[in-house]
Amino acid sequence: MINVQNLYKKFGTNEVLSDISTTISKGEVVSIIGPSGSGKSTFLRCLNLLEVPTSGSIDINGKNLTSSKKNIHKIRQQIGMVFQHFHLFPHLTVLENLTYAPMKAKGIKKAEAEMKARLLLERVGLSEKETAYPNSLSGGQKQRVAIARALAMEPELMLFDEPTSALDPEMVKEVLDVMKDLAKSGMTMVVVTHEMGFAREVADRVLFLDHGVLVEEGQPNEFFSHPKTERAKDFLDKVL
Amino acid sequence: MNLDFSQIVPYIPFMLEGIWATLKFVFFAIILGSILGTILALFKIGSIIPLRWFADAYTSIFRGTPLILQLMIIYYSTPQLTGYDISAFLSAILAFGLNSSAYISEIIRAGIQAVDKGQMEAAQALGVPYRAMMKDIILPQALKNILPALMNEFITLTKESAIVSTIGYLDLMRRAQVVGSDLFRNFEPLLFVGLIYWCMVMGLTMIGRVFERRLKQSD
Ligand SMILES: Nc1ncnc2c1ncn2[C@@H]1O[C@H](COP(=O)(O)OP(=O)(O)O)[C@@H](O)[C@H]1O
Ligand SMILES: [Mg+2]
Repeated sequence: MINVQNLYKKFGTNEVLSDISTTISKGEVVSIIGPSGSGKSTFLRCLNLLEVPTSGSIDINGKNLTSSKKNIHKIRQQIGMVFQHFHLFPHLTVLENLTYAPMKAKGIKKAEAEMKARLLLERVGLSEKETAYPNSLSGGQKQRVAIARALAMEPELMLFDEPTSALDPEMVKEVLDVMKDLAKSGMTMVVVTHEMGFAREVADRVLFLDHGVLVEEGQPNEFFSHPKTERAKDFLDKVL
Repeated sequence: MNLDFSQIVPYIPFMLEGIWATLKFVFFAIILGSILGTILALFKIGSIIPLRWFADAYTSIFRGTPLILQLMIIYYSTPQLTGYDISAFLSAILAFGLNSSAYISEIIRAGIQAVDKGQMEAAQALGVPYRAMMKDIILPQALKNILPALMNEFITLTKESAIVSTIGYLDLMRRAQVVGSDLFRNFEPLLFVGLIYWCMVMGLTMIGRVFERRLKQSD
């Protein structure tokens, strides 16, 4: 489904990603881990062209991302993204947050968009909040709304950039539960996370990035119990 | 002190008509200034270099020269250059509209840039087209932040509108001068229209407060 070949990204002279190649297949859940500043967010953001790669190619469903600037909206509509800091639209109600993009970007009728949005809110356990504004929600609730907002576009792929890092500890679980649910439903997911438990339990594969290099990848059990590289060992020693 | 307000009584209807005369062109100037100002602000933050350059040059010129000069140039040079006998009313709308658009564009630009970058990224990630994103997501949030500055600009424009008296437009200010020279007493009519300007500005301030409260709904 996603095929990344020789991806490089530079900010000025700072090479943030070097020569990353990997493929992610449909329905796979991939966790990206690595020290802070290693390029995890940048990699994720390249997958929906929030960052433009310096060189290399990214194919999604056989369509080359970097050469199709024109269809960028269409491609992004198939890729949901969840941010560390939620980025809900503060001037719209929860329901409007969910219906806005389907109506504006896909031309879906209001009644239909609202019906689907209500189903999604039910799924993330926030039905009673549909008329609330984001500022009145807790962090965990905000992130669940943000996930529902991304799902409202009916994407084929979901990207998560440290979705629980900005949350109070007691709210992490409610968000991870929603994500586990989503993984079970067969969604293709790429998740940057510091939640090693989640990576171990839910991910089909772990990518370990360090200094912009894809140092190691493998099955979670394999990776966490027998890391092959020194760098991965060092990192795991620090976080586990 | 020999103040005698009784003498201006017969002239009060004449001066009150000036409210309408002033409001009329101030209203159109604010509309013109807001529309142009928004467009210029979008030019300034956009990626098309010539448009950015144009908007910056425009702002620099209209902020860098006196408003009264701009007004006179429009009023006196339009007939000379084009043969079109432009009315004082139209000149006033143009001068004030074009001038305030320069200030408004700066206010809006700063407002847009103050909106969290994450908002734009979230909209982009959802595949929302640029125009819709600006109109529905970015500008409404920018507007909320800049409303006080914007109201300030409208208030300034309302007060500075008195400059049109210099091209003979019968606004509030001009009417006070006319009455003054009729009566050989200037202080009373000036004081009278001063009070009216103050009331108009208070009205605008109140309208601004109502808007602000409405936009604050989501807090
Ligand atoms: N927009 C940007 N401009 C310049 N440098 C950036 C930008 N975004 C990220 N970087 C740099 O790229 C490196 C990797 O950042 P990031 O992908 O956010 O790492 P991570 O998500 O793994 O913490 C960091 O050194 C960061 O300073
Ligand atoms: Mg990051």
